[in-house]
Amino acid sequence: MYLRIIRNDVWRSKVITLTIAAFIIAAALLVSLAAVLVVNLFGAIDSMMLQAKTAHFLQMHSGDINTERLLKFAGQNGNVEEFQILEFLNVDGSQIVLGENSLVDSVQDNGLATQNERFDYLLDLDGNVIHVSDGELYVPIAYMKDGTAKRGDTAVICGKEFKVAGFLRDSQMNSALSTSKRFLVSENDYAQIRNLGAVEYLIEFRLKDLEKLGAFEAAYIAAGLEANGPTVTYPLFRMLSAIADGMMIAVLLLVSVLVVIVAFLCIRFTLLAKIEDETREIGVMKAIGLRVSDIKRIYHAKYAALGLFGCLAGFALSFLFKGILLENIRLYMGNAENASLALLFAIAGVAAVFLAIIAFVSLVLRRFRKISPAEAVRFGAIQEKPAGAGRFTLSQNRLLSTNVFLGVKDVLGRKKLYATMLAVLVIASFIMIVPQNIYSTISSADFITYMGIGNCDMLISIQQTDHMERKAAEINEAMKDDDSIARHVVLVSKMFEVKTEQGTPERIKVELGDHSVFPIQYTKGKAPETGDEIALSGINTDELGKTVGDTITLLLGGKEKSLTVCGIYSDVTNGGKTAKAIFSDNSAEILWYTIAAEFTDSALPETEVEEYAGAFTYAKVAGIEEYLAQVYGSTIDAVKKASYTAVAAALLISALIILLFMKMLLVKDRYSIAVMKSLGFTNSDIKRQYLSRAGLVMILGVLLGTLLASF
Amino acid sequence: MKNIIRCENIVKTFGEGDQQCRTLDGVSAQIGDGEFVAVMGPSGSGKSTLLFALSGMDTTSKGSVYFLGRDLSELKENELADMRRRQMGFIFQQPTLLRNLNILDNIVLPSLRDNRGNATGITRKAQDLMRKTGIAGLEKRDVTQVSGGQLQRAGICRALMSTPEIIFGDEPTGALNSKAAEDIMDIVSEINAGGTAVMLVTHDARVAARAGRVLFMQDGKILSEFQLTKFRKEDLDSRTQKVSDRMREMAI
Repeated sequence: MYLRIIRNDVWRSKVITLTIAAFIIAAALLVSLAAVLVVNLFGAIDSMMLQAKTAHFLQMHSGDINTERLLKFAGQNGNVEEFQILEFLNVDGSQIVLGENSLVDSVQDNGLATQNERFDYLLDLDGNVIHVSDGELYVPIAYMKDGTAKRGDTAVICGKEFKVAGFLRDSQMNSALSTSKRFLVSENDYAQIRNLGAVEYLIEFRLKDLEKLGAFEAAYIAAGLEANGPTVTYPLFRMLSAIADGMMIAVLLLVSVLVVIVAFLCIRFTLLAKIEDETREIGVMKAIGLRVSDIKRIYHAKYAALGLFGCLAGFALSFLFKGILLENIRLYMGNAENASLALLFAIAGVAAVFLAIIAFVSLVLRRFRKISPAEAVRFGAIQEKPAGAGRFTLSQNRLLSTNVFLGVKDVLGRKKLYATMLAVLVIASFIMIVPQNIYSTISSADFITYMGIGNCDMLISIQQTDHMERKAAEINEAMKDDDSIARHVVLVSKMFEVKTEQGTPERIKVELGDHSVFPIQYTKGKAPETGDEIALSGINTDELGKTVGDTITLLLGGKEKSLTVCGIYSDVTNGGKTAKAIFSDNSAEILWYTIAAEFTDSALPETEVEEYAGAFTYAKVAGIEEYLAQVYGSTIDAVKKASYTAVAAALLISALIILLFMKMLLVKDRYSIAVMKSLGFTNSDIKRQYLSRAGLVMILGVLLGTLLASF
Repeated sequence: MKNIIRCENIVKTFGEGDQQCRTLDGVSAQIGDGEFVAVMGPSGSGKSTLLFALSGMDTTSKGSVYFLGRDLSELKENELADMRRRQMGFIFQQPTLLRNLNILDNIVLPSLRDNRGNATGITRKAQDLMRKTGIAGLEKRDVTQVSGGQLQRAGICRALMSTPEIIFGDEPTGALNSKAAEDIMDIVSEINAGGTAVMLVTHDARVAARAGRVLFMQDGKILSEFQLTKFRKEDLDSRTQKVSDRMREMAI
């Protein structure tokens, strides 16, 4: 019998049923996709890191290295399971040509490495450890994704010819957000070109107990070992790999929550209209002795069936779509071992959507209690009380045409009825605007000022080379004489020891120079303006337990220097642990130089950038657009994909809702439409009235949605 | 004769303050086992309100209603629902069948609620009743595919499914033509002859004339009662005349 009720009801209201089904399908699809993606992403990262035996602690270092001392440290520290020092041969981008493409414009630190024997393996696309032969070159996967190289290409590195034998997954440096990229060559080939590039050391540890990573990190610093490059730990490797796809998942989840809300609004609206329509029948059922729970069951049946169908369909559809979304994860990280877990999560997510629908329908149906059988039998529908638009009378209206007036008056008089449609439109505009905003924010040049980089046209960095000071001065001089440079600044990064209250040694990288030339955004406070001020990155602020106004003491060549914390900023460069100050110092070792410049004519920065790159081959020169595209490109792409999906979804939702709503309104208003027709209103008059209603609500909805999204 | 329903001094008010209106103003009455009582009166006299109060579909403001000795005001919503479903039957003026169900499903709906296991038996009983009320063959029809008289017969079948103690009718012939009305009332008389009590609210003297007792109401009060002899179809015209005369006497 329930089957017949459902079938008849669906048949009678095809459009409405279809719309609701579509929303449930969409919600289930998105939730299922998000679940599959989450499990696959983290599963793939985990299995890749397991196969590659990723280092738990990595310290990059260039220059002299005391292997004896490091070995001794590794031997003495009880938590070290394995230890190795690897070489990474920094090769300038201009010295790397893959097929037709040169890496001269790459902001990545490209370099050669050999396969490791103990851990931190470089993997092929099947997840196996690569065994490379002489003359073969394995290229980082990112260069396959962006089409720079393909298998079989001839590559020339520092004049030596290689054949691109395949691509590699690097569990530590896969992500575009990590700035180094390892190319794999054989031991023999490596030995041949070793003296053509700058050797950087990767000091790597695998720990027995990963939980005690923090303690190990502190012990390493306390031992005063080699540490003039970035430090990266296992959790950070994991996060770097997850961030781009993670953002896409977050957007998917956000949209799915909104779609569920819209589905709820539709269900509520449909149910209320139906209850109103069938008040009499509900009253009769109560009168002949059916319990409220019995009547609820009849109404529930349809939504349970609809929910079940929608959830199953959405779940099935997610299998069609997941391939596209998983493509990136598969390429970079391979397959997850726990794919069946993904299925389980997806089922759980879809089941949650189903249960939420059932619970929600039950909530709406509580209204049955209020229907009095006596009244329902006697009067039929519950009388609607017009309210609100009392002073808005037709006889006093001079402004609007009669039809538009009647439309507006109807909206004002039945606010509750139109509130549902308004809410949907507000949400739809919100869905459209927010991801677009995020996209345009992170893709705009200003955004970098929130991430620790000033808004300039060109960034030059000098690092891991000899005579850095002289080279920086050389570029500085050249820029001073260059009319096409509007302003520029030379910043030098040095490592200093911080004297902490606990007495434990901490070391921080401080960028010294004039920070007012290309200002960044400070979340608190301001840029350092005098020699005794220092600004800290967010992560450093947390680690040192300082805030604006506190003082910290640095050791400059053995002497203490007190500095006042004047500002806090967020930073994504150099692992987020940075500081900015203005004092001069000759004691500490130089880590690197950064030279930022702005052109007088910023319309055509490419030629200028090329000029500098040509003139100063020892420096890494990049236009800011290019720098951003290379560092955040994949993140921006993921957000872009998600935001376009959101726009399409929101448009579809709005169109469906308006259609649905108008259809129901026409059914509800058949009596007043008949009255108006009998009074001589034409069909187009009535059409105009309904268009004004929809128009008014739409304008309001879009306005409110935009307002909401801009907060 | 035992009482099926008894009410004492019931009052039903709507609204508050100056706007307050007493639709029932101290009504006391009873309906005995197997009795046929008709309630007459002008619009707004409180006839239907009395029916709703006696059947537990609506509450009273004051006074008590007893059904088979149980005080309705002490029953919970679900207990009232169960009581209506199992021991009372209802026939309303408008066809009150559910649009989503066919005729047969509408008839078996309340009974299936209590006895899902015996669907075959219930269906057989429904078909039996449909034959008796002259609508056999309409089982699979949609509610929009039959006449008003046929719908009302289906409503009667539904009311009879639980073999109730009493049938309540609120203007059961109000929406029917005279031929259909006559047929429906024949069925009602037959049900009453079988021992089921009937309480009807009506404007129509010809309908009320089938009752054993007629209550006349005005302004929420019972003005008078009119006792009739045992009903025989051939007396219908003369009984109708008597009821009409009485109405005229009372200026209703």
